[in-house]
Amino acid sequence: MWRPCGTFDETYAKDMAIVRTWRHWAALIAALLGLFLLPLWGPYYLVAFMNNLAVTIIAVLGLQIVSGYCGQISFGQAAFMAVGAYASAILTLKGGLSFWVALPLSGILTGLFGLIGGAPSLRIKGFYLAMATIAIHFVTMWLILHLDITGATGGLNPAPPSIGSYSFDTDERIYYIIVPVMLIMTCGARNLIRTRVGRAFVAIRDNDLAAQVMGVNLFYYKMLAFFISCVYAGIAGSLWAHMVQVVHPEQFTLLHALWYIGMLIVGGMGSIPGVFFGAIFIRILDELVLSVSPVLAGWFPWLGQAPAAALGVTAFGVVIVLFLIREPRGLAHRWEIIKASTRLYPFAH
Amino acid sequence: MTQLVQLALTGVMVGGLYAMVAVAIVLVYKSTRVVSLAHGQIMSFGALAFWFAIIPWGLPILVGLAVALGFAVILGWGIERFAMRPLIGQPLFAAFLNTFALFLVMDGVFQLALKGSSESFSSFLPGGMVSIHGVPVPLSHVVSFLVAISLFAALALMFRYTKVGLGMRATAEDHQLAQSTGISVRSIFSVIWVISAVVAAVAGIALANVMDISYPLPYVGIKGLIVALLGGLESLPGALLGGLILGLLENVSAGYLDPLVGGGVKEVAAYVLLLLILLIKPYGLFGLVRIERI
Repeated sequence: MWRPCGTFDETYAKDMAIVRTWRHWAALIAALLGLFLLPLWGPYYLVAFMNNLAVTIIAVLGLQIVSGYCGQISFGQAAFMAVGAYASAILTLKGGLSFWVALPLSGILTGLFGLIGGAPSLRIKGFYLAMATIAIHFVTMWLILHLDITGATGGLNPAPPSIGSYSFDTDERIYYIIVPVMLIMTCGARNLIRTRVGRAFVAIRDNDLAAQVMGVNLFYYKMLAFFISCVYAGIAGSLWAHMVQVVHPEQFTLLHALWYIGMLIVGGMGSIPGVFFGAIFIRILDELVLSVSPVLAGWFPWLGQAPAAALGVTAFGVVIVLFLIREPRGLAHRWEIIKASTRLYPFAH
Repeated sequence: MTQLVQLALTGVMVGGLYAMVAVAIVLVYKSTRVVSLAHGQIMSFGALAFWFAIIPWGLPILVGLAVALGFAVILGWGIERFAMRPLIGQPLFAAFLNTFALFLVMDGVFQLALKGSSESFSSFLPGGMVSIHGVPVPLSHVVSFLVAISLFAALALMFRYTKVGLGMRATAEDHQLAQSTGISVRSIFSVIWVISAVVAAVAGIALANVMDISYPLPYVGIKGLIVALLGGLESLPGALLGGLILGLLENVSAGYLDPLVGGGVKEVAAYVLLLLILLIKPYGLFGLVRIERI
């Protein structure tokens, strides 16, 4: 681990700490305060944007664990999120449970569902596994569309969460559920990867046969990776369902899964800050395209009436191609370079 | 019985089209070791170029075909030169992800060009039904199928008897060995992408004659990938056989299972098949089983 000159870790606890110096603590507290005060002064659309972003970050964190750390590329994250959203909606609407029970329960149910999704990873990997998860995506979405309990094409309308008579029914209110959950999940992911389990994941990613030779139980750890990743997806789905109060198969297409993978590529595989960089970068790109496209449509009438969706997809694709070619290790790597060079300033090495 | 034969025949015809897409993917995989998701889009672009040439511009069909294939040549060359070549030396998985990014780029352009509507050729192939041994089958399916078969034969001949074909076979065996015998692997990659784009475009045109040019058309590319996996990624005959199997399975299962589960079996049958292949025989019917060493 890199340290600024003159900083010494005298105890083991200090050596392992994530937040190291008083500057880190100050920055962390300031950032948390800023986050929690945001709905009080922030404009409405910023709060809505943050809610959306936080849900995305939870889903991408899960993907980072299974794909970035354990190396099992999954295109199924959108379908797993759909399972979480539907589980939560069904538990609250038909099971009569409250949101606070349904949230963790839908996470665990999705995790169990993910064990089915992760089963092919025992025999196949790399591109073959990616194809298997695409198949799982389509089969899952087909089931959701054709079962009675999910409301088929009509979807479901879960109620917003509430405590007593206080209902978290606006964007500003549900912000105080989504963002703390996001922070807890981030903490969980950050700590998970430096435990025995996390090291086993990284060993499997780097070479699964070598890991097995060293005594890592491939079956157990691959399934665990899929389970944890799907718990994240399920929680993200549940939050999403109660935030927008509509669950519909159209919200979870293969394109969404591709967006999540794209965020990983842009942010950097195998890095928790990378999840934040990637998600923020892609979401801002999306917003930019949304605001620019009406102007473009005015200048170039041949683009049609509403080119936003198509232009967004194109811009996203171009960004991923550029990142794969120019910056394959993502923004997180660039961030490390910037940190190292500011630490060493004015020296080059 | 007649119903079964009719379903099977239509399925085989559609399967021929899937096989064409799969052949395009197998071509690229054999020499470059890259699995391409982008072929669904190349295919749709071929169909779209053809549509633009013959309907809005009013060109005769043969000229339109030339325009569409010329467009496919440029597209294939451009993809190889500007998107795939910079990734040589990177992990193959990055190249796979790159093809999916290309899929997205072209998906956006495709939607823009289509403007949310769906276009059809109003059947430039002669319409109507023909009867094969007393079973009626749409003529457009038959013609498309014959195109697929003859294209496949042409490719097989090219691989067998031309110098470029020999170079491609050598490149498929081993890149470094091919390079050391004086074959320019780079230009082989270029040629392969161009040929495969042309094959995909022909598949797209034939397919668009059977189904419309609309938003789901590029996703047939994923079915092409399933077919390629079923037959084995290295195997051209495997792609043909896989296409026929998938077409047959989709149509027959839809014909018999739809009344039982209330429709939509056709959309999911291919993916169930894919899961089964990957679980039981991941390298496909004729693919090479890779042995891994640490």
